[in-house]
Amino acid sequence: MFSPHTINAEHRDLIHDVAFDHYGCRMATCSSDQCVKVWDKANCGSEWVQTALWKAHSGSVWKVTWAHPEFGQVLATCSFDRTVAVWEEIVSETISIGAAGMRHWVKRTNLVDSRTSVTDVKFAPKTLGLMLATCSIDGIIRIYEAPDVMNLSQWTLQHEVVFKLQCSCISWNPEFSRAQIPMLAVGSDDMSSSASNKIAILFFNEFVRKWVKLDNFSGVSDAVHDIAFAPRLGRSYDLMAVASKDVRIFTLTQIIKKNFRDALGGLRYEVHLAACFDDHNSSVWRVSWNVVGNILASSGDDGCVRMWRGKYL
Amino acid sequence: MSGVRLEVLWSPVHYDKFVAWGTEIFLYQTLPKTKDASDSSGIELSEMSSAQLLATNSNHHYLKCVDIYPKEEPDVLLAVGQANGKVALSTFGPSAFDASGLAGMELVPKHARQCNVVAWNRVDTNLIAAGLDRYRSDHCVLVWDVCSGVGGSGVAAVAELGLSDAAHSLAWLYSQPRALIVGMNNKHLKMVDLRDPSKAVNSSQTKAVHGLTVSAHNDYQVASFVDTQIAVWDTRSFDKPVLTMPQIKPVTKLLWCPTRHNLLGSLQRESRSIHLHDLQQSADDSADPSVLERSVKPGSASQITSFSWHPKHENRLLVLTLQGTLTDFCVFERITLNWSQTSHLVWTHGQNTLKMMCDSDTIYDSIGDISSLIKKRALLDYGLKTELKENAELVNEEGMKKLWLYLHQSKTLVKDGLLDLSIGTKLPPGVRSELRDKALLLCNWKFVHDTTAFQQIMEELEAEGAVTRGAALAVFSLRLRHSIKLLSTETKYSTVAMALSGYTEDKNSMWRESCTVSRTKLSDPYLRAIFAFLTADSENYDLVLNDGGMAVADRVGFALTFLSDLRLVDFITQLTDNLISDGNLAGILLTGGSIEALHLLQNYVDKTGDVQSVSLVAMRSFSPDLLDHDRTQYWINSYRDLLDSWRLWTQRAHFDIWHNRRTGTRPEQQIYVSCNFCGKSTSTQSLTRNKATYPRLGTSSNQNKMTCCPHCRKPQPRCSICLVNMGTASCYQPENSGTPTTKINPFDYWFTWCQTCRHGGHAAHMTQWFKEHLECPVTACSCRCLSLDAASNIISVSSVS
Repeated sequence: MFSPHTINAEHRDLIHDVAFDHYGCRMATCSSDQCVKVWDKANCGSEWVQTALWKAHSGSVWKVTWAHPEFGQVLATCSFDRTVAVWEEIVSETISIGAAGMRHWVKRTNLVDSRTSVTDVKFAPKTLGLMLATCSIDGIIRIYEAPDVMNLSQWTLQHEVVFKLQCSCISWNPEFSRAQIPMLAVGSDDMSSSASNKIAILFFNEFVRKWVKLDNFSGVSDAVHDIAFAPRLGRSYDLMAVASKDVRIFTLTQIIKKNFRDALGGLRYEVHLAACFDDHNSSVWRVSWNVVGNILASSGDDGCVRMWRGKYL
Repeated sequence: MSGVRLEVLWSPVHYDKFVAWGTEIFLYQTLPKTKDASDSSGIELSEMSSAQLLATNSNHHYLKCVDIYPKEEPDVLLAVGQANGKVALSTFGPSAFDASGLAGMELVPKHARQCNVVAWNRVDTNLIAAGLDRYRSDHCVLVWDVCSGVGGSGVAAVAELGLSDAAHSLAWLYSQPRALIVGMNNKHLKMVDLRDPSKAVNSSQTKAVHGLTVSAHNDYQVASFVDTQIAVWDTRSFDKPVLTMPQIKPVTKLLWCPTRHNLLGSLQRESRSIHLHDLQQSADDSADPSVLERSVKPGSASQITSFSWHPKHENRLLVLTLQGTLTDFCVFERITLNWSQTSHLVWTHGQNTLKMMCDSDTIYDSIGDISSLIKKRALLDYGLKTELKENAELVNEEGMKKLWLYLHQSKTLVKDGLLDLSIGTKLPPGVRSELRDKALLLCNWKFVHDTTAFQQIMEELEAEGAVTRGAALAVFSLRLRHSIKLLSTETKYSTVAMALSGYTEDKNSMWRESCTVSRTKLSDPYLRAIFAFLTADSENYDLVLNDGGMAVADRVGFALTFLSDLRLVDFITQLTDNLISDGNLAGILLTGGSIEALHLLQNYVDKTGDVQSVSLVAMRSFSPDLLDHDRTQYWINSYRDLLDSWRLWTQRAHFDIWHNRRTGTRPEQQIYVSCNFCGKSTSTQSLTRNKATYPRLGTSSNQNKMTCCPHCRKPQPRCSICLVNMGTASCYQPENSGTPTTKINPFDYWFTWCQTCRHGGHAAHMTQWFKEHLECPVTACSCRCLSLDAASNIISVSSVS
């Protein structure tokens, strides 16, 4: 019987999200107790030590996410209090003893455009620069950019896309080259709506400089709790996992039609349902890929974490 | 137990005890389930626990409501509210309460009518409140102090509230032990302080007067229900509910979760699930609270009549169904999870715990995550070995191993001059040709036309134990006798050898007939191929060629030896297409270093995710053109990113060195060092050029000691520790277009500086200084140079220091 390592998080309420940084050496947790905690792997060993704790919002903190380290040690959080906050770790001016007291997190900005609870926040792949995508209960997806990467307190709202349904989760497609078209997948856990599709896939259209919805996709009609693109790592297509009443995996293949010029520049995506697992037998809450993107971990209401690996015949 | 609505209640002080009641009261004790399943004395509650019936109390006939004495005592004392309005204190059998006189005590209202609710005060545990139906001239809420009545015959109520009202439900507040909230007359909620019971402290007009429950965490949070509506109240602004939640069916029970903030559990009539309402409240009051609803189905699919939260265990519920089955159930919190770049998988367990699994755990291997394999191989310098075949030793996967060996083999062929890369465009006619011979060489099929090579390969195969393959190759090179000899060395193939010796060229012989039939029953592909070859009709070798069990090289070799040009081209084209779409690495033999190899390798990556092998193979074997192809660069960049995120910077650097050597383009100089005063480069390039101008500096003996700018002769900055001028000469000399000269300065003398305060010095001095200090070594500079450098916290995995 395998017993996993246990870390006592000591949050005063339910933990909503855990995020690792780019190197897997730091971890951030956020909770309904309105606090964010940062954990460091002591000397990159196996012990995780809490190095920071602060009250980040005046409501439950739903999600926390790390920026690529080339932008510094930067976190973004979103909360029920309708705001998104960007945090940076800095070295304090005041002299204090011990290495832990030397660094602390400061709020660099508060993005207050949403009128409702912000349910997810994600940094874009680093090739796009310092960008953030957020989604909220009122069904609006907002994309922010920090034009000057040295100034984290200035963010401009670049785009607002209306999804209509209350959003629950958002995911960028992984970076792979500068030529890659940025894509976002948004899920909705709207129970009241009878809309047949709870997922929108948006991609950035260079010609009109707008985010456009992929129209030929109709995948999931049940409430979607989480959505995750797999890391690409050499693969020729994209993989997207969806946590709904079951685990679903979609493949997105880009088809470029030559000599076919329209608003999308001849770009088409073919979306296929590659797999569907109902082993959780209940709602699935979260999905996460491994670094290569060939194994998926999912968690569900049955209290289990399950792992799925692609099998090729 | 059927017929009467059953109720269930965890004891607030005995964490392993609960009571269930219908017409009688049952006391149960929960036990963690032992592995021994034969222990069937208890009732199964869940996979983890069972319950044992400890006692039954059937003294009370018209019981309406029950509450358990909340003072920590070893025994359970019940307050039983009855249909005639009496509240009886009762125990299960003899107990410690008998002596104190509490057991058996009866608290009687003046007029008999139904008792709707009894509630012990959780803080002043001797206080008990009962809510009764309406009576013209009597109060509906009575509060007794049970201790005052000990010894005496009757106990008088210490407080009476609500003259000629009806009380539907009531609850004590936790932080104000003398305050009660009562739901009255189907029309209002009243909060009363017992110190002044004459008037209500607070009240609110509402129909939601049933099932009042006070949150154990936030005293001001109160919830109640009526019919299909749940109302949540804040006692600090009692005028109207904070939140009303319409439900589909009438609500029958409502309870705050004692272990979690803001979580309300509710039960609806004829429902098979418990509804959970997670209230979200923002600290700034402007935002309306909202609620996250969930429903959970405990175990069985029958109707639930009652439930109770466990007072201490996180999210533990006890559920009672219509049939009387009890289920111990734990509401799983939403599990959030994340998988890090370094193969750590973390997930939440309950509210407060994180569970983690990483690649050093043995169980991680069973997941079959290729990333840990990639990492292991990267640390062993996979793909970076000078000899191509050494890389094969680091791979376990058969196809990849063969590919490295094949690359090695073809490279040696080229090196030995046996194969030049100028291949003609047209195949000359005939089964035997120079081009075909070259191709056979690549397939390692030289033996077909060469006796010495034949002897050699037979010996090799015999040593390997690949008897059937040897036999097949012998037959294909028309040495039937050798084949029979080879097969008869192994006993299990002696019958095959026998069958083979009966070979006859007669087209209608019995031998041929029986061989054709029994051929299909052979499991070994090479044996099948032998008989397919010998029984083939007039050069129709499809059965040999299309046997997927044979190695691709052998199939191709066979085709090269026996097929006519036309059919050979057909066969090769078809086989190539198949291998490419399968991502079969053996297909590299056919695609070579062409654009088709890219497609093949792409399919291989799509299948296995092994971007490492593919980038390395591409880096080591592709032509510069192909190496610059977008797709190849995409693999290589992906692999670089992977190494970066694993902090395998040394490996990444070695990879880049190999890569640049292969592409032939040298990376541009990225760093220039210029003089502080004149702004000109201080590299040795200018130094050598100016040798004549500054003969003093030009001698090679003091090249390392150059301490001033070669242009303006101003001194270079000093090391802030030893105060000696920096004397670093760059080793980069663009004039020598060859490899950079070996470093002329040991690393310790390199100049390093802080990007913020611009102070610096010798690398060795700086590292030494910052081992003990936080601030810059320059006096009066309070810059925390080292800690400002975030990257310094991210050490390379392989770094020694």
